[in-house]
Amino acid sequence: MGVTITPAMVGQVVISGLLAGALYSMVALGLALIYGVMRVINIAHGTILMLGAYTTFWWFHLLGVNPYLSLLASMPLMFLLGVLLQWMLVTRVVDAPELSSLLLTFGISIALVNVAQLSFTSDLRSVEFLTGAFLVGPIALSKSRLISFAFAVVITLLAFWFLQKTKLGKAIRATSQSSEVAMVCGINVQRINLYAFGIASALAAAGGSLVAVMIAIQPEMGQVYTFKSFLVIVLGGAGNYPGALLGGMLLGLVEQLSSLFLTTQVSEAVAYVLLVLVLLLRPTGLLGGRAT
Amino acid sequence: MRWAFLVALVGGLLLLALYPMVATGYGIQFMLQLFMWVALAQSWNLVSGLTGYVSFGHVAFFGTGAYAGAILVTTHGWHWGPASLAAGVAAVILALIIGYPCLRLKGPYFAIAMLGLNEVMRVLVSYFEGLTGGGSGLSLPTLHASGQIYYAMGLAAIAVTAAAYLIITSRFGLRLMTIREDEIAAEAMGIDTARYKLYAFLLSAFVPGVVGGLFARDQGYIEPISVFALLTTITMIVMALFGGKGTIWGPVLGAVTLFVFQELVWARFLYLHQILFGAIIVFVVLLMPRGILGVLQERYRLPRTL
Repeated sequence: MGVTITPAMVGQVVISGLLAGALYSMVALGLALIYGVMRVINIAHGTILMLGAYTTFWWFHLLGVNPYLSLLASMPLMFLLGVLLQWMLVTRVVDAPELSSLLLTFGISIALVNVAQLSFTSDLRSVEFLTGAFLVGPIALSKSRLISFAFAVVITLLAFWFLQKTKLGKAIRATSQSSEVAMVCGINVQRINLYAFGIASALAAAGGSLVAVMIAIQPEMGQVYTFKSFLVIVLGGAGNYPGALLGGMLLGLVEQLSSLFLTTQVSEAVAYVLLVLVLLLRPTGLLGGRAT
Repeated sequence: MRWAFLVALVGGLLLLALYPMVATGYGIQFMLQLFMWVALAQSWNLVSGLTGYVSFGHVAFFGTGAYAGAILVTTHGWHWGPASLAAGVAAVILALIIGYPCLRLKGPYFAIAMLGLNEVMRVLVSYFEGLTGGGSGLSLPTLHASGQIYYAMGLAAIAVTAAAYLIITSRFGLRLMTIREDEIAAEAMGIDTARYKLYAFLLSAFVPGVVGGLFARDQGYIEPISVFALLTTITMIVMALFGGKGTIWGPVLGAVTLFVFQELVWARFLYLHQILFGAIIVFVVLLMPRGILGVLQERYRLPRTL
């Protein structure tokens, strides 16, 4: 559009892309976890992210305490909500055809969004805590995005450490490789499902809390995150946990790069084009996942 | 039994055909919308009820049709009849673009791709302002044709229900239902699953496009948020599920029951609308997976193809 693209702009875009990507990776890891363990795509994942974001909003609004500390509230709360949803509803459709689990989580999602609309109204809300940016040479780094990035990286690394090193984490990975074999080895798969849904919801909640500090939130914000998280796990290969990290970074980069050439409105659609292209060209994901 | 049913059916259709002579303006609008929901719920049923591939974005075809029809009417001066048919074709083309990559794969790829589609279409329609009027919408020239649109909408509902009947009682329908029950077994039996899924999907996109075109003409004004509303998809799904997905009369039953209920009762509790819909979905999936019709079939030994 007649705008010359300087190296500084490219640098800016690459860094913004990575900053956004870390958040996508963290949220998508949650979705990947549920899918890996139960073969359920949780349409309500973004909805839980939205509830996490509202937890942060109210925390800051009512208590006036540093919003980043609200992670200590939103993550456990959504962990509990996740466990509750799994225990009461989702567990009944784990082995049913995927039509059932898709529709069930869809139903949960629209009910929760409506509850949020009724209790919090549909107004845009924002947490005005950290505004402004650090200037590093020609590149401006938004403070809130930088801090969110740091939190997302730490939380994601903790989640990976947990999956790799702890006994429960190993049990989760075993279940996602094969729930039958895991059961034979004495792993209580029902319990693992509960933990997986809880942890996944906590990761989504963390994403919501961090998003709330960056942009204005509203009850219907979640759907976009469900979609993007799914795109991330498609990019990385479904059921491939490290793939989710790569996919998130890639999505962040592509979105930001496209904003160089397109208006922000249209760059929303870029994620979609990316999904269709990947499904056409490399349906098992970039790292190659388990065949579905 | 069969005769009684046919007589009732023909009689009912005849009454509906004569209804505009005695109806008030409100009555016509009410029935017109009822037909619209029957057509939409039944269209969703054609792909999701029969193949088990859930479409979370069927409103995208409705919206695309609404815009295609409205643009043809306003800028090219078409009559609304051919414009609505062209709107159906536009929806089918969109379905081809999305369905071809997504339906070759198994699993939830399709569902999620459809979840995003609506959002993308809304963004694109808002972006191409020159053609669509952008966020401020598109007004159609005034025309009082509710009476004619009533018949057109009714025909759309009948056509898609007849299509459901023809499909469910044919080999094509059996193939689709085999895919739903066990896709690997279907492939092993030599069914070209990707092709049949795509056919079902294209069929299910046509009528929402047509209905969208008619809706645009009837309302006289459309904007991105009104024709690409997520609630429309939700409503279609709830109606088809509630009545009984994968059956001929289930979506009709669901659409009529829920629409009448909605007009009589829920209009007063508009805020609770989506909670109710969410609860119905959860309830149906867990406790009544085959909908009202499924329950009736079990209790009264009704035929399978109903």
